[in-house]
Amino acid sequence: MSNSLSALMSATFYERGYDHHVEVIHQRDAEARRRLESLEVTLYDGAGALLATPKVDPAQDILDLGGLVTAATRASERVMVVLDARYDEAIFPYRPHHYAYLHRAGSAAPPLYYAINAVLGGVPDRVGATNINNFETYLFRRGPFAQRYSLLLGCLARFVPVTAQVFTYYGSRRIAHEVTLEPKCHTEIVLAAEDAGERLSRVEVKSLFRLLSYVVGRREDTDDFVLFDHLFTYAK
Amino acid sequence: MRPRTYYLPWITRPGLDCALVLSNVEARFKPELSAGPIPVTVVQYDARGKAARQYEVTLVDSTDTVEMPLTPAAGGCGFATVRGEGLHSDLYVTLSDGHDYTATHGREEFIEGYPGLIRLLLSSAGAVMSVLGRTLPIFTRNQYVYLGPESRSHVLLMNLSNVTNRIRAVASTGKRRIGSRLLRLPPMGAHLLDVGSLGPPPSSSTAVWRLKLEGNAWFNLYMVGAGSKDLAGPLSLMHVK
Repeated sequence: MSNSLSALMSATFYERGYDHHVEVIHQRDAEARRRLESLEVTLYDGAGALLATPKVDPAQDILDLGGLVTAATRASERVMVVLDARYDEAIFPYRPHHYAYLHRAGSAAPPLYYAINAVLGGVPDRVGATNINNFETYLFRRGPFAQRYSLLLGCLARFVPVTAQVFTYYGSRRIAHEVTLEPKCHTEIVLAAEDAGERLSRVEVKSLFRLLSYVVGRREDTDDFVLFDHLFTYAK
Repeated sequence: MRPRTYYLPWITRPGLDCALVLSNVEARFKPELSAGPIPVTVVQYDARGKAARQYEVTLVDSTDTVEMPLTPAAGGCGFATVRGEGLHSDLYVTLSDGHDYTATHGREEFIEGYPGLIRLLLSSAGAVMSVLGRTLPIFTRNQYVYLGPESRSHVLLMNLSNVTNRIRAVASTGKRRIGSRLLRLPPMGAHLLDVGSLGPPPSSSTAVWRLKLEGNAWFNLYMVGAGSKDLAGPLSLMHVK
């Protein structure tokens, strides 16, 4: 593969029962001139085991993650889906993103649409990241709402584990957690919605290296996603 | 003129509340920005582009958070601009049916201000083109939309300019054209485009259509997720680049 191409490494999580469609190129022009040079997909279980490397056509519009994961693995647990793309900067006026549409079959909750986490990798001087992106934060409404919150974290490092500090805020109180993820491992960290009568107001994630990170909210009664979003840079 | 402007979309429906979450938390490590108080002004534009309401709030410091409910206004949708000295964080917009809430964030972009002569020319040319069901394709966006039996994604279009914006929406799948609509958005106005109005939705699995949007002036969009009750049920707002 040519090193003159730019790299985009992104990743998301697939859970069974969801309609989960990934736009290979967000805002692809109608003539489909904008296309990736290559796209490699790898699937990992929570313990970091490689489940499959299904072949995908980088020229296609939409990747049906449900069909892809079901056809490639027997996994019933959450799967980390890594999208390793190469693109030509002459074709894309800005760094392309993958976006995705997410809805659980039979759910009365609205579908969600989100930008798939770019986790860098590939060619460091061409990834276009100008902000610190391994200190992140997210705010919550103070509720009370009948939903549960958590973080989905994944480690895309190749050789070394990554330790992250997770801070949750309840009023003026801060609670610290620490999590270490081996390469390709992923986990869900439940964030208590309340502590000592105070509602969860904020979460922060700090790590030495960039982790795949999503904040999610699930309805208490059905477990359906109502939040599935990236966190925000800590120092803008 | 392109003054930098931070804006967020809003939607209200009976039983569905919209609230902003304002803070400056991303600036907390910048001493010159982290101290308070931080006065913040929010101007809520309705679908007709009128400044329906103005809200003044104060953030005590960079870690303070204010939840600000928006009042329903004409058209039930639009966008709100947010201004504050030293405000340098992403702000959230949330929709709630009282049971749970969905959220997305706003964008720092710009409002395009065209001078008088250009406005006159755009208005005249746009009126002529609209007779043919067309617009001046000065800005173009491509967006996928999703239609399934249990969910779909509508599009909230926002005219971020001081001219009337005629936006043409054309839906297609593969090489087959599904339908089109020409919309007329007043300056600073908005329109919630029901994607089902562009063509018959599929009856079984989720279909993905390509939506090409062309306008005679700067505009942007948010995706609006709707479940089995469509626009009468809980909704999500979803940002796009």
